[in-house]
Amino acid sequence: MRVLRWLIAAAIATGICWLFPPFHIVSLKTATAQKAAVTFNPAAFADTFWDKKLLLALPNAINAQTLLAAIQADPAAAKTNYSHSIGIGGSYCYFLSGTGLVTAVSDDEVSLALIPGSTNTEISLQASLIFGNALRDGTGLLNVNDYPDSQDFNAISEALNHLVETRVLPKLREQAKVGSKLSFSGCAEIDDESTDLKPLKVVPIQAEAK
Amino acid sequence: MKTYLTKLVFILLAGTAMLLLPLHASAQPAPKQKIAVVVSTLNNPWFVVLGETAKARAIELGYEATIFDSQNDTAKEAANFENIIAGGYKAILFNPTDANGSVANVLKAKAAGIPVFCIDREINSTNAATCQMLSDSYSGCVKLGQFFVKTVGREGEYAELLGIVGDNNTWNRSKGFHSVVDRYPGLKMVAQQSAEFDRAKSLEVMESILQAHPNIKAVFCGNDAMAMGAYQALATAGKADQIKVFGFDGADDVVKLIGEGKIAATGMQFPKTMARQSAEFADEYIKGKHDFPQKVPVPVELVTKDNVSKYGDYGKK
Repeated sequence: MRVLRWLIAAAIATGICWLFPPFHIVSLKTATAQKAAVTFNPAAFADTFWDKKLLLALPNAINAQTLLAAIQADPAAAKTNYSHSIGIGGSYCYFLSGTGLVTAVSDDEVSLALIPGSTNTEISLQASLIFGNALRDGTGLLNVNDYPDSQDFNAISEALNHLVETRVLPKLREQAKVGSKLSFSGCAEIDDESTDLKPLKVVPIQAEAK
Repeated sequence: MKTYLTKLVFILLAGTAMLLLPLHASAQPAPKQKIAVVVSTLNNPWFVVLGETAKARAIELGYEATIFDSQNDTAKEAANFENIIAGGYKAILFNPTDANGSVANVLKAKAAGIPVFCIDREINSTNAATCQMLSDSYSGCVKLGQFFVKTVGREGEYAELLGIVGDNNTWNRSKGFHSVVDRYPGLKMVAQQSAEFDRAKSLEVMESILQAHPNIKAVFCGNDAMAMGAYQALATAGKADQIKVFGFDGADDVVKLIGEGKIAATGMQFPKTMARQSAEFADEYIKGKHDFPQKVPVPVELVTKDNVSKYGDYGKK
């Protein structure tokens, strides 16, 4: 009789465990795949963002000549009217486009004069390794609060910079010849107004010989 | 006549009493509401500035404010939170000890209806704190990394001193720095050790690194306290002129040494800005505003010998 009671209790316990399993056994391969599925993939994100949002936003970039004139007239007003920034603090970004005369080409940059008749470099297109958050923060399309892990948000910058290096810079280096005309779109990050406004250091999203 | 005089005296006494009552009430104002400032450690001048500034701003805004020192220990931090919850505080300005370990404490405060405003350091949750005001360590160290390459060159051996391994800032700084420096294959990191953001530990760690790797050209330190310890070790070894030190924080002693050409650079965080703003957010919350962005990044600025004159007192002059 006692054995029967134990058998009934064991059967009930087995039934409960079958209905409400206290744990699941998953193969290591499946677990790794599941983890990868929820892990943020900055390269894939940047790819989609570039094609589906960034390129479509290029018409929203401020005309470079308008921006340069505004900065020349009143840097603080230009910042208020045209810049994007995240958080609080001194650094900010411009999203701009324009056409200029190539005045110099080096390993690190392509210098452009925008004002007709001028040979002064007003824009420096960055043409070597790309660092910083100009593209991530410059357009105002991305919001830090959409990314619970700030390291994901930082990884977006790296991934976007990589796309500039692989998609934009090879063509820029090929087409940039002193004396030629070049149209461009891109973002400039301003940390120190005494050094970063003249010339504006632009990370290019697009650059094409005219 | 006597009755008339009695009535007059009674009216005068009653009037005087009525006049005195409000005076008596105003002499004993209602107790001030309390704001707690919980700091990871007061064993580092940078955090002392952070805590004291938050406290001072809370007092300016009309609150009673108290600083709690967690001594870099999540258990002490938990005890601080228990005391704060029991003590009837209205808000917590919080510099966490551990990105993961501190989440439970913040959730306890939230459950007790006390808003928590994180300052400088992040917790790994976006639904615990009311707002997190975070120094953008990663981007600051990208700038430091670029300056590192420009100053040290594209070839050579270097060492890195990490902060507390459980703190997101440690890795945000390290990753930001390496996102630049690792692009230059000629730069070889020969040692990477934690000195836990501590000056004394950094001195010891740097001494042992120097013995094992006498040819390093530079050391990147995850905060200024460690940069000071590393510089001290280098000075003692007579190598301060040969090995460049890079810090992060913008501590006054390091800014001074940058001016003297003894330390190469640091990343200026803005502890006073963050502390004041978080106290103001807490005040706004207590007064009824409950809609805050979860994260507010605060950009970090590169301080070098060229621009050091613009910086001091834990911020921009």
